[in-house]
Amino acid sequence: MNGLILTSLALPLLGFILIFLSDSYEKRIARISFWCTHAMGLSLVGLLLTWASAGFPSHEYAWFTLYETSDYRFPILFYLDKIGAVYLFSVWAIFSIIVKYCRVYLHREAGYQRFFMTIFSFVFGLNIVILSGSIDILFAGWEIVGISSFLLIAFYRHRVQPVRNALRAYTIYRFCDLGLLLGAWLSHLLFHESQRFSQLAELFSNPALPPAGYAALLLVSALILIAAMGKSAQFPFCFWLPRAMEGPTPSSAIFYGALSVHLGVFLLLRTLPIWSYYYLPRFMVFIIGLLTVIVASVSEKTQSNIKGQIAYASITQVGFMFMELALGLESLVLVHFFGNAFLRCYQLLVSPSIVVHLLRVESATDADFNINKSPLFRFLPESLRHTVPEVLQNSLYVFSLQEGQLEMLVRAVLWSPLKRLGSSINRMSSTDKVLYSLAGFALVEVLLLTFGFDQSYVALPLSALMVLISLGAFSEKHSPYKVWHAIGASSLLAGLAICFLNPEAWADVLLFASGIVPAWILGIIVLSKLLENDVFADRPFTYRAFAETQPTLSILLFVSFLGLVGFPISPAFLGEDLLLSHASNFGPWFALPLTITFVINGIAAARVFLRLCMGRPTELRDSQQ
Amino acid sequence: MPRLTNINMAHNHPPLQTATDSLTTAEFNLDASIAHIAHWLPAQGPIKDFIHHNTLHAFQHHPFHEGVAIAAKLFGARSYLPLSDYQALYLEGRINNDAISWAIDHADCSAEQQEQLRKTLFEKDDIGHYPPASLTNHGIRNAWLTQLEVDLNALVHPILFRLLSNYLDQGISRWSLPNDKESFWDCIGRLARNSLIPLYPLNELHVQDLLIQTPDEVIAHCLQKIVGDSAFFEQYLLEMLLAHPGWSGMVGVIEQNPKALLARRDISLKQLIAIELLMEWASLLKKKGPHFACIAELAHPEGTPLLKEDALSPKVPLRLRVWHEAMEWSLHSELLSALKSNSSQSSPTTPTAQALFCIDDRECSLRRNLEEVYPEVETFGAAGFFGIDFFYQGLDDAYPVAQCPNIIVPKHLIKESADTELTTKTSKTPHGHFTAHTLFRGWLYTQTLGLGFAARMAWDVFRPGAKLPNIRSLSEIDAHSQLHLLRESEELNEDGHLLGFSLTEMADRIGGLLRNIGLTQHFAPIVVVVAHGSSSVNNPHFAAYDCGACSGKPGAPNARAFAWMANNEDVRAILRERGIDIPDSTRFIAALHNTSRDEITYFDPHLLEQHPATGLVEFQTAMTIALERNAAERCRWFELAPIQQSNAVAHAHVKERTMSIFEPRPEYNHSNNLYAIVGRRQLTRDLFMDRRAFLHSYDPNTDGQGEVMARILSAVIPVCGGINLEYLFSRIDNSVYGAGTKLPHNVIGLLGVANGVEGDLRTGLPQQMIEVHQPARLLIVVEQTHDIMDKTIARLGELKEWLDNEWVRLVACHPESHQQFLYSAKGWEAIELPDDALVPSSEQSASILAGQTKTIPVHHLTRSLA
Repeated sequence: MNGLILTSLALPLLGFILIFLSDSYEKRIARISFWCTHAMGLSLVGLLLTWASAGFPSHEYAWFTLYETSDYRFPILFYLDKIGAVYLFSVWAIFSIIVKYCRVYLHREAGYQRFFMTIFSFVFGLNIVILSGSIDILFAGWEIVGISSFLLIAFYRHRVQPVRNALRAYTIYRFCDLGLLLGAWLSHLLFHESQRFSQLAELFSNPALPPAGYAALLLVSALILIAAMGKSAQFPFCFWLPRAMEGPTPSSAIFYGALSVHLGVFLLLRTLPIWSYYYLPRFMVFIIGLLTVIVASVSEKTQSNIKGQIAYASITQVGFMFMELALGLESLVLVHFFGNAFLRCYQLLVSPSIVVHLLRVESATDADFNINKSPLFRFLPESLRHTVPEVLQNSLYVFSLQEGQLEMLVRAVLWSPLKRLGSSINRMSSTDKVLYSLAGFALVEVLLLTFGFDQSYVALPLSALMVLISLGAFSEKHSPYKVWHAIGASSLLAGLAICFLNPEAWADVLLFASGIVPAWILGIIVLSKLLENDVFADRPFTYRAFAETQPTLSILLFVSFLGLVGFPISPAFLGEDLLLSHASNFGPWFALPLTITFVINGIAAARVFLRLCMGRPTELRDSQQ
Repeated sequence: MPRLTNINMAHNHPPLQTATDSLTTAEFNLDASIAHIAHWLPAQGPIKDFIHHNTLHAFQHHPFHEGVAIAAKLFGARSYLPLSDYQALYLEGRINNDAISWAIDHADCSAEQQEQLRKTLFEKDDIGHYPPASLTNHGIRNAWLTQLEVDLNALVHPILFRLLSNYLDQGISRWSLPNDKESFWDCIGRLARNSLIPLYPLNELHVQDLLIQTPDEVIAHCLQKIVGDSAFFEQYLLEMLLAHPGWSGMVGVIEQNPKALLARRDISLKQLIAIELLMEWASLLKKKGPHFACIAELAHPEGTPLLKEDALSPKVPLRLRVWHEAMEWSLHSELLSALKSNSSQSSPTTPTAQALFCIDDRECSLRRNLEEVYPEVETFGAAGFFGIDFFYQGLDDAYPVAQCPNIIVPKHLIKESADTELTTKTSKTPHGHFTAHTLFRGWLYTQTLGLGFAARMAWDVFRPGAKLPNIRSLSEIDAHSQLHLLRESEELNEDGHLLGFSLTEMADRIGGLLRNIGLTQHFAPIVVVVAHGSSSVNNPHFAAYDCGACSGKPGAPNARAFAWMANNEDVRAILRERGIDIPDSTRFIAALHNTSRDEITYFDPHLLEQHPATGLVEFQTAMTIALERNAAERCRWFELAPIQQSNAVAHAHVKERTMSIFEPRPEYNHSNNLYAIVGRRQLTRDLFMDRRAFLHSYDPNTDGQGEVMARILSAVIPVCGGINLEYLFSRIDNSVYGAGTKLPHNVIGLLGVANGVEGDLRTGLPQQMIEVHQPARLLIVVEQTHDIMDKTIARLGELKEWLDNEWVRLVACHPESHQQFLYSAKGWEAIELPDDALVPSSEQSASILAGQTKTIPVHHLTRSLA
């Protein structure tokens, strides 16, 4: 069974690598994807059959330990149970249908190879998430899914709007990673070695003896819920899902109709013992589901485009799933997931036929929304009898049209304050910046010396500086170099701060830096090559389309971006986890600034990458011609 | 500060000229400016009736190359293929030296320039075909926004498009936005002022005050704030609207023709402009506060095109122009040489069957194949509405639709009715396809139906052929129903239509068409009237696949009406009086050719039972073989089709294409259309023209005054020319003139398609329709003397500008001598083709086609007639 788990995981990766190495000849790519999906199907059916014949056990498999120190272990763990089995089967079924579908549908499309590579990496990520045995492994898969999703939304990179929407989705993903990262950290802190999924249920099996305090459990539940909300486009993050429908229709179907949108539900299913232990987190899940159902079903009513309508219908059903989860109806959730995934996938695939369907079959041309004015409002005074219903109707319509104002809400609460702070930092002259930070350090040092505190408190101003630098990167628009430097600097400051917290940790910090520094240097070199003959600040808002004109450098920039954001190919991924674990041992408060920095750095780097590599190359005929 | 606006439109459109002249006082005149701008916006209507038209219709009063150059400066589009494409065609032999010389001679340039051209023709140039600096991309608005560092388009467009699409929506959203007959302006005003939740960004205090004023006042106020200088007002409005040409164009079309929508809406460009300016101003207030720098306060960067200066003076890239014309002339002279050397064999004198097809280029190959299989058949071509224009309401149709070219407004309504009890309308309960209206039902459906959809999706993808539920494909059109053709009362219905035709009106139409095509004697025992349509699934552009002469509908009702009328004894009696004697033994039979499936349906079998037609079985057998051959011919364009397989396999393949939900190319439609030939079939019967010719029958001997020719050309020029130019421009710049790739398209409000949920509407043809098209202008060859053609051209009226400005080319081919003359505004020019131009020949189509995957030159067919 263990071997089959590994092959099920490795086959999509193999497909990805083979397509990456192959030339862009369509038939070869189609053949590779055909064999890979079939081999994956075989290994999967084999896996499920073995699992079934063993009596549907909850099976855990520890492959090897990636990293081990005295007080820290990072084992590669896999886990299969009935939830995983249902998800695994659906992923494979939908994926192989989509691959077959795209073979013809994407015929002659520029970017055929790119498309197949991205969906293979997507499925690889999904399989990791589904088969993961601990939150750390799950997080790795989660990141892979996020990046491939980001790339597929921006698949039509010539147009501005897909690129913008890719960034929109990515910022939400990134924000919700904050939940997952902190959640992982907190579960390390709470459950130590036993944060594996296989042991969660046992851990919580004794109702009289919770494994952690009420507040801590509440916090970890809330963090997990944030991660789930973002991926599943639940309240208040509903708005990104319809806007993500920018890629080819089948990719929207597989990502946002069928699979990606149900990952939040999967996360909640996996961590069910944690958040269902107390009633308050359950209630939170229920409320989130309920709010989503209300907002999404109202928003769906005024969607005048078919993909948006399907997206909101899907969000509504996922909202129901959250509510069902909160009520403890796990099996129903699995059935519901299965149904919704296939229904939405199918609806999206056939969405172009809506014109024929509505005109020739239903002959529907106008909707039927009218609040019946006379009988309902007879209790009102006559002067209000007509105005009140109209105002209500208008308000409801505007609410629906603006999709519950959620985007404005999220922007106002999350991003605008950060942006404002960042740009006021950027407005300071560089000497001011140095002076202020030196003054800050001097002050802290003086305080420490006078009151005889531990040196580890130096980490405090360091972490503040780290967040501020990272915010500067977030709102820097005129220089990609500054962004890259700020990201590198804030990451190194994080390492430095950890060294102050725990002087023993230098080896781990070095590991972290070994991921960040090469990526940083690579990024700077690539940037200077790309922008050789270009003054960026002259046209800071133009998309420069280097992916087309300088493909190799663009791929290098992408690699550097992945390295800086701690993607699971870089040692920085493990490094992040190590830093967090040190933080949990020596200064738990430090986890928050650290994750905030990671998240914001990711968004800032993604923005630079999009600005430089996406877009249409400028085509302008010399006026002398 | 009065300034001069609207000056220097070098070649103004005549009716607009007067409008601009009246502006001598030079105060900015909003209505005149809007009229001016409206003219430049894309004119594509709602997608349900996709009508091919010249994409650059607005520039048609300029000579072709100049018009294209002006459009390029306006829209920022490419005007020609890349230079290397032409050079590659030269190396392949598809552009010849004679054509290059011809093109240089016709390039209107000095001897010195010609010499220079010859020297530089084969230089490499990768950027020469790039678009010039344009108002759309490099105008004052973009320059200003770059300086302000505000992405106004990103702020305003998504919201504006949502409001527009919800206001105009024809049935996708569950709640409709406008109240009864409410205009766009009033509707948005109602939402912005009378709602507890603010309508972003119109919730600014200053903006709220403006909402109670008229659109004119709002526009004046906002322009003052945003632009500041009336000299730039018009250019700003133009650039603002061109930032989303799809929606601007749609609003313009609906304003001009409110009937284009099934659910009528009261919207105008002025209302759109007022709302958009208001939203722009509101967004600027939010971003920059009340004191932002307006356009007049910021200097334009060097080289910004200005409308009041010579922003739109055409600059034609000479080398590309010459290459393009050389390509066109190479292709055109292939036909002209073949026509010239054609040893005109006569058609069968006593045909055993006659078939009347649509002029459509897709019937060109079918006619050739049919004649090859069944040499005793005589075929004719005519515009696919067969001269009968009417509104048609089928059994299942909620609304009547016009069945004629869109330039004609029909007066008659024809309804279909069920023949027997058995075929009465089946109940139309939807099957959960898109319909889960209520929350609870939606929850229940997804809980229960999931497995069913899993199975269905797998079935559809792995075994295409099972069709989508409830959507009838064309081949299933009920052959048992009846059309109410004969008028029983003279009363008009509520829409002002006559219900059916009178006998005289029928005779007028039948007689008119028969005379047009020159079929007034020698009737065969059966005359099959073949209309065409196309079936496809999962295709929002379905209307672009149907009959262009029927406004994007299948032509079946017209064929049935024609056959019924021509079979009617009373109609025949009237015709006999008028000199057309249809023998009693002759039966007219209606049929529908499904161009994507290559299938044929014969209508009204019950009428055939009453009047059996001799020779029908033979005809049907021959037709079946011809259709298979036709399918095999089409397969050579499909890269994923079986190669070199039997005709039956090829036929099965094209049928599968139309039924699979993942096939974006059910057929390649009019791709590679190139010729239109108006003349007797003898002229072209022995030519292999691939699928590239629109063929209209015509007898040159009965038309001394050129009247019939004028009637024919007045349909051929706009319909075939429109198709040709739409393909041409969509191919040359698929992202500006065309709709881009189909794959991410999202259907908006049943009006059109857009990329994603918040994109602009896409106009033109998607990449999957034009990718194999060779973009050359249409060559119309008429079999008539140029003297008579002069009389014809004098009758053409406005259509003359197509010919004078060379948006299509016209060649008169002398009926006897086959001497050819090329028309231009300067007069007729005798065409001298090089003597060594050898026309390839072959015995049958199949051997010409073997192994070919690209366009094929015109061949002689040396088959011997039976």
